Amino acid sequence: MILVVDGLNRHRYTKLLDQMFELRARVFRDRLGWDVKVEDGKEIDEFDALDPAYILGLNDEGRVVACVRALQTTGPHMLSDVFSAILDGEPPLRSATIWESTRFCVDTDVLDRGTSRHSVSFATCELMVGALEYSRDAGITDIVTVIDPIMNRVLKRSDCAPYDYLGSTTPMGKTSAMAALLDCTDERIDRVRAFAGIEGDVFADAETEAALADDAPAQGGGADMGSLFDLVQAQPEPQPTELEQYCLDQVAAAETDEERDAARRLAAELCRAGMVSDRALAAINC
Amino acid sequence: MSVIDLSKLPFPENDLKSFLDQVCEANELDYAAYAGINPIAQTVHGFVNYPDEWQTLYVDQGFQNRDPALLAASRSIAPVDWQRLRGEQSFKSIFRAAHDFGISEQGMTIPVRGPYGDMGMFSVTRDCPDEEWRLLKRKVLGELQTAAVHLHDHVISSQALTRVLHHPALSKREIEILQWIAAGKTQQDVADILTISNRTVEVHLRSGRSKLGALTTSQAVGRAIGLGLIHPL
Repeated sequence: MILVVDGLNRHRYTKLLDQMFELRARVFRDRLGWDVKVEDGKEIDEFDALDPAYILGLNDEGRVVACVRALQTTGPHMLSDVFSAILDGEPPLRSATIWESTRFCVDTDVLDRGTSRHSVSFATCELMVGALEYSRDAGITDIVTVIDPIMNRVLKRSDCAPYDYLGSTTPMGKTSAMAALLDCTDERIDRVRAFAGIEGDVFADAETEAALADDAPAQGGGADMGSLFDLVQAQPEPQPTELEQYCLDQVAAAETDEERDAARRLAAELCRAGMVSDRALAAINC
Repeated sequence: MSVIDLSKLPFPENDLKSFLDQVCEANELDYAAYAGINPIAQTVHGFVNYPDEWQTLYVDQGFQNRDPALLAASRSIAPVDWQRLRGEQSFKSIFRAAHDFGISEQGMTIPVRGPYGDMGMFSVTRDCPDEEWRLLKRKVLGELQTAAVHLHDHVISSQALTRVLHHPALSKREIEILQWIAAGKTQQDVADILTISNRTVEVHLRSGRSKLGALTTSQAVGRAIGLGLIHPL
């Protein structure tokens, strides 16, 4: 069963989100050995603060066994930032109808092999169907997804092979990472559904959604969404530091692509050294 | 905070309000509205093609600061259907008022996120039964997503501060594909030449158009030539 948690309802699903962050820590730090920040057993990065959408796969006991995170490619996302090496330093795709998916993983400790409802294969397919249908219903046509070679193999075996890849497979931790392209067409969704024998609606219905919430059932009221004014106030854009401004000026003043690339490389270097913020780097790379 | 009516500001070569009219016309919609937040300039911008009387009331009542459609969309990556908000008290009070001006509660708000923490909310509405709305949405959502980002990028880059930051960063692949298109090749020709799939060419073209602020490929080619990214043949 699939549950979508985003900025609108995440306050109701903190327990499920914690399970997801713990799953990500086990997969990306422990199993894949990626350089991710884990605190208190949870892998959480700066993109989790940007109100992404999480597509969660839950087993019959309501436990998170699969997850993926989606962001728009028009705004800050991983390929425009920490995963830029995968694209050989090239700027990422940017389109209203392309989303990025990252942190795609399944729980191999809980799921078994084979093809039953409790298998890795089924959980992966169900998550794919959920992610593809959620994207399609939002008017999205294609997804660029960052995956490791094992996940790539699972996709190929599930009749959900990427139609292309961007950049190159890049060493990352104990394994490597690649950027794959998937279309959100009905043909692909039908193929994955047929492969795993998934019929009917994969998304949790309203009743189940309510039952899965932290303190179920919390009806009515709704979140205090504050006002747009608070929203602006709550996001005071930090003024660029002198050094960040220098980098911005260098990029703006670049007359050739080489000069611009050089200015960006410098900024990336300074960012790695912690002297330029990720936010400023994103602005520099846009 | 006040709403700035961009339709009354000079926008060279862009009449944003007529753009809203065109989007409505092409996608069988009654009305469209845009609200954008620019955290660098700390402003909310908006313009709509709603009836003037409703615009006046909306702004006088400060609805933009508590419109649940805008607030919800700002925290979502997917379009937020107003059906999801029908239980909200603030939604009921605004739409009871809107109803008097012939504005339907059937609608959705499409969130746009830009690279600088900037956000845009593009709302569309159409007076029709739920089922008809569901079918229409499915048909036009891709178009509306593209229109929303196009509009937002134009508004954001119209401001001096963000214009300085903005210059299109196209990848080698995107430039290569635009160059072949400029040479008169079709999308399928380009796919064959580069031995990649037609769909890969398509996503790169779409991305190139978005980065160049163009709605059509020929516009994108024109702008790429203007910027010296590709050469006219």
